[in-house]
Amino acid sequence: MSENIINRIKEIYPNGLEYKISGNWLIIKVKPEELDKIAKIMINLGARINHITAIDLETKGFEIINVYDITHANISLDNITNIIFKANISKIKPEYPSIGKITWQAVWAEKEIKELLGINPIGLPDSRHQFLPYEWPNPVESELKEIPEVNINGNYLQLKMPIKEAYQSLIPIGPYHPGVIEGQVVYVKVEGEEIVAADIKTGFHHRGIMKLIENRGYNRGVFLAERICGVCSGAHGLAYITCAENLFDIEIPERALYIRTLLAELNRIHSHLLWLGVVADVIGWKTGFMYTWGLRERILDIIESITGNRITYGIWRIGGVSRDISQEIAIKAKRAIEELKEEFSKMALEITNHPVIKSRLINVGKLTYQQAFNGGAVGPTARGSGWKIDVRKDNPPHAIYDQSIISWEIVTDEGCDSYARMIVRIKEVLVSTDIVIQCLDYLSKRSGEIRTKVKEVPSRIEAIGLNEAPRGELFYYMKLYENNNLLQAIRIRTPSYRNNALIPLMLIGCNLADVPVVMGSIDQCLACTDRIEIIRNNHREIMSWKDLVNLSIKMSKKKGLL
Amino acid sequence: MIELLLIIFISFFLGLFYSFLIRKFSARLQWRIGPLIFMYKDLRSIMGITRIIQPLYDIIKLFGKRTIIPESSRKRLFIYSPYISLIFAFTSIFFIPFSSIPLLSNIPYSIVIVSYLLIGSLLFMIIGPIASGSPWAFIGVRREAELFLVAEFSFIISLFSMAISKNSLIIWEISTKEFNLINITAGLLMFTSILGKLHIKPFDMSEAEAEIVAGPYTEYSGKLLGIYYLTKIFLIYDFIALFISIFTPINTLPIYLSIPLFLIISIFIIFILSIIHVLNPRYRIKNALIWYIKIISILCLINIIAMVI
Repeated sequence: MSENIINRIKEIYPNGLEYKISGNWLIIKVKPEELDKIAKIMINLGARINHITAIDLETKGFEIINVYDITHANISLDNITNIIFKANISKIKPEYPSIGKITWQAVWAEKEIKELLGINPIGLPDSRHQFLPYEWPNPVESELKEIPEVNINGNYLQLKMPIKEAYQSLIPIGPYHPGVIEGQVVYVKVEGEEIVAADIKTGFHHRGIMKLIENRGYNRGVFLAERICGVCSGAHGLAYITCAENLFDIEIPERALYIRTLLAELNRIHSHLLWLGVVADVIGWKTGFMYTWGLRERILDIIESITGNRITYGIWRIGGVSRDISQEIAIKAKRAIEELKEEFSKMALEITNHPVIKSRLINVGKLTYQQAFNGGAVGPTARGSGWKIDVRKDNPPHAIYDQSIISWEIVTDEGCDSYARMIVRIKEVLVSTDIVIQCLDYLSKRSGEIRTKVKEVPSRIEAIGLNEAPRGELFYYMKLYENNNLLQAIRIRTPSYRNNALIPLMLIGCNLADVPVVMGSIDQCLACTDRIEIIRNNHREIMSWKDLVNLSIKMSKKKGLL
Repeated sequence: MIELLLIIFISFFLGLFYSFLIRKFSARLQWRIGPLIFMYKDLRSIMGITRIIQPLYDIIKLFGKRTIIPESSRKRLFIYSPYISLIFAFTSIFFIPFSSIPLLSNIPYSIVIVSYLLIGSLLFMIIGPIASGSPWAFIGVRREAELFLVAEFSFIISLFSMAISKNSLIIWEISTKEFNLINITAGLLMFTSILGKLHIKPFDMSEAEAEIVAGPYTEYSGKLLGIYYLTKIFLIYDFIALFISIFTPINTLPIYLSIPLFLIISIFIIFILSIIHVLNPRYRIKNALIWYIKIISILCLINIIAMVI
């Protein structure tokens, strides 16, 4: 059977150095010069890039890892869900042909590789920094030859602006702005109030969590993973243990799976309610904000009664969960959830029919299906553009999401705007409450084991863990050293990382008043996006924003995104 | 003469009370507590018995803060316009009758004087921020000016349709003439303009903090911001007193009846304003202008018909 799959993939790509099947993934070793050709083949087949990353193998050089998702592609390889292409490159000349010039999905990832490891993707269309400051000079960014002089006295530049440009003014929204709670800058160029150009810069959080997890062992890593994001902490925990359990290849007791599903869905409900409140606040509707956050508080109470904590659950364990749910709590929680569902559905009707809310959200932040597909949107952002993509069905995490056991459906909407994204999230809350009620039904009626013993030595050398976080697909990749069972590298790709890259595209043509709405509508979580260290320096530089903005527009046009 | 001295305190405390009420009503409608009417017993020694004058405490706090004047601003205009705005708003209280007390409203052309004073106060709320040189203030001011134009339109039409139909330019005379249909239609027109002028919720886009930080007041701090807050206290009183005295027959009643009626009607108006404030998200400036033009043109037509009748 595995030979059959390998033969079929050889028809598509015959030049691989080594073909291997491990679990649901097909691992192919390739030459680094062919990475862009492979990307072309895979993108043409309709595959989606999960993540592109690189690992420092110390004396052996670098390893470039490209993970493709083929669940929505035009190839069927039985149970294979992901194809991993690996290429080794030397440290003397760390270069490979860029994938970013073929698809937008790879641009941010390649910038990250460039900043983290100093590998140069040749032909990367946007070579500006993503996480380091723009002014950050060599050695990472080789284009900038001279370090600009520091002018302490501050001789102000004379304004020399052509009349055509005088109508336009550049407005930085961020790094710290009341509309966006976390740190990021969105530069918008406005004519009156209409946006003509937009650009995004992230990298204002400073944590380096991936490096911290590497030195910490499998069991302790999950607590750190939960702390990547305060809102989708449950999703991060589940994705981490899914990845770790794939390494060990163990079976988890059924009751633990139900508890995991229950918590992941409660997490989704509270995240979506929080999002609804944030959008209500952004469009100036304080009442909606107060009400949805009041409902969210009840969900947090349920979570607290189950796990003992409100935000970071701390019950995820490799091989199960650490705490059981008593029958009493299950029955009480079920009653509370049913009440909440009733109240929420009433409120949802009010919100979706409110004329002012409609006027603020409809036709704002347009993202067509094709743009979402090419740009690699995930989660409710993609589903709001009519793309039926959901990790829970395509590539489920280690929890109960089998549609024959638990009845649930993927919610999509064809509206392609902020309103459609709101509808998707509101419907998802209702679907999630259904899942929660079914889980609580099971948990209140039966009992059983909640944790199995873990083998001491992992049975695989690398593994992927995916989970559908409230914001979209969450990707974990772990790799071990070849001769001992310690973690060599962990890579995390969060959903906002993908969706944020599409913000400039959605902003153009909007009104300035819509900027916070568009930014809010993808439910961005910047704490997730920035996991990399930034270094402060005292250099001040007067940048020509015009060039930077034009560059991004030109690149988008080249990719057919505009 | 004593009335003129008394009205300063009355208008100030009523303005504070109204802005407290807007805060309290909207807090209660949003499942919050808001400023307390009776302070908790154990906190009374620190916080005082009541927090009804919370808006005043906010202003006092601002007066104790450092005032920052930005380098890029036109300093004279930046500093003086809050004071000029306050003077305009403050002066207009003398020309508006307060529940059967004419004050200065029986002098000739008092309706013209009041409308000029109110426009002037709002105008200097726009001019000061322009001088501050902040891009956020520019956008806020742009929105404020657009809204000001449409709201002013309905304000003027409503006032002068009353003046024409009652055949007088003296507020006291207009207010003591008999109540008829034009009072209702012109009153509605005035109410729509008050929504825009007091930044009640669908029309608070000039102060939309999620979009443009603090809007026009981004660069204002300390005493200067406190002066603007004080101006708003007087403006709330101005608009509500003007509305009640012109469009209701309250000034024909004896004084012991008209003062409680004045309070009841004004609290009722504040309550309606709070409900509108709570139920609506904020409009984009474009939508707000379209809404205003639609509503005003319909109301104006009705108003003309009422005038003819």
